Amino acid sequence: MNKELEHKFISEFQQHQNIIHKVCRIYTNNQDAHNDLFQEITIQLWKAYPKFRGDSKLSTWMYRIGLNTAITLYRKSTRTVKTQDFDTVLHKIQSSEYDNTEEEQLKLMYKAIHQLSDIDKGLIFLYLEDKNYKEISETLGISEVNARVKMNRIKTRLKTILNP
Amino acid sequence: MDELDLLKKDWKKQNANYPELSYNDIYKMIHKKSSSIVKWILIICIIELLFWSLLNLAIPESYMEIYDKFNLKTFLYITQGAHYLIVIGFIYLFYKNYKSICVIDSTSRLMQKIINTRKTVNYYVYYNLALYIVISVVINMIMFSNPDIMLEALMPKNTSIEGDTFLTIMLITQIVTLFVIIGLLWLYYRIIYGILLRKLSKNYTELETLE
Repeated sequence: MNKELEHKFISEFQQHQNIIHKVCRIYTNNQDAHNDLFQEITIQLWKAYPKFRGDSKLSTWMYRIGLNTAITLYRKSTRTVKTQDFDTVLHKIQSSEYDNTEEEQLKLMYKAIHQLSDIDKGLIFLYLEDKNYKEISETLGISEVNARVKMNRIKTRLKTILNP
Repeated sequence: MDELDLLKKDWKKQNANYPELSYNDIYKMIHKKSSSIVKWILIICIIELLFWSLLNLAIPESYMEIYDKFNLKTFLYITQGAHYLIVIGFIYLFYKNYKSICVIDSTSRLMQKIINTRKTVNYYVYYNLALYIVISVVINMIMFSNPDIMLEALMPKNTSIEGDTFLTIMLITQIVTLFVIIGLLWLYYRIIYGILLRKLSKNYTELETLE
């Protein structure tokens, strides 16, 4: 793989690196695991980059590889790590913007998301990223109807966790 | 306000909170080694393919002399020839499946392809086990139906053990060895693939039951 391609990849990746951070945010709940998954996704993106032809948007392509790595390729279980203070850390920064109840609700929300299955996490991630059901179904390889049904179940589940 | 809307709002805000990696950080990262499940499956599969192939080559020539006395040599050479052709077939299939693994596929397709690659090697292992069992049974049947030649070829000289007792001991040893080997292999696969594929199979089943 030549230097030119490497340079092109890194520059483009830099602009979109938030996508990968967000995938890691959904699938991990401590900084070490976050960094580890981030690295694996970046390696997978780079390995696949020579085949990227630009017929889809780079960001779409990154969503796909990011999720595939987190759900399938990443060897370490993304769920075994005990819930830690990562959520709290992130929210402390923003705490001034919310009143306490909202902050509390969000904390519970993220905690609930971390308890979902890998597939469900993928669905909620794409939902939060404003992807439509067509894109969600294509990314995960399930039908649109099933994506809708599953998403409604997750939403209900999250709501019940918050309002028992 | 709906909780999910709240979450979405918060989600959108977090962009600014992530550390931005520099050109150099990313450069270093892409030169690190991947530890993906596909890579591990590939390594383990290659070791398995080599292990079973080398095991066949490792049979010493002196063994053949014993089989020669039972007129089994031709039978063994033919099975060996056929066996090598089948091994080449398996290696080709494995390579083809492995190459088809593509990270840009949809999640369920990607999982399917990884599982198929793994299955090819599983079949290879089953094939080797079956071959081992069939050949052991055939050879033992022929050997035990010619006890005279067997005693002459295998029984140590200057021993006080009776011919019949010797045959019984031989038979029991053969059966026990067969079961021990199968047991060990079963354990090995449970451990290796249990660890490696637990997550993958669980997620795959979840997508499958959905459809």
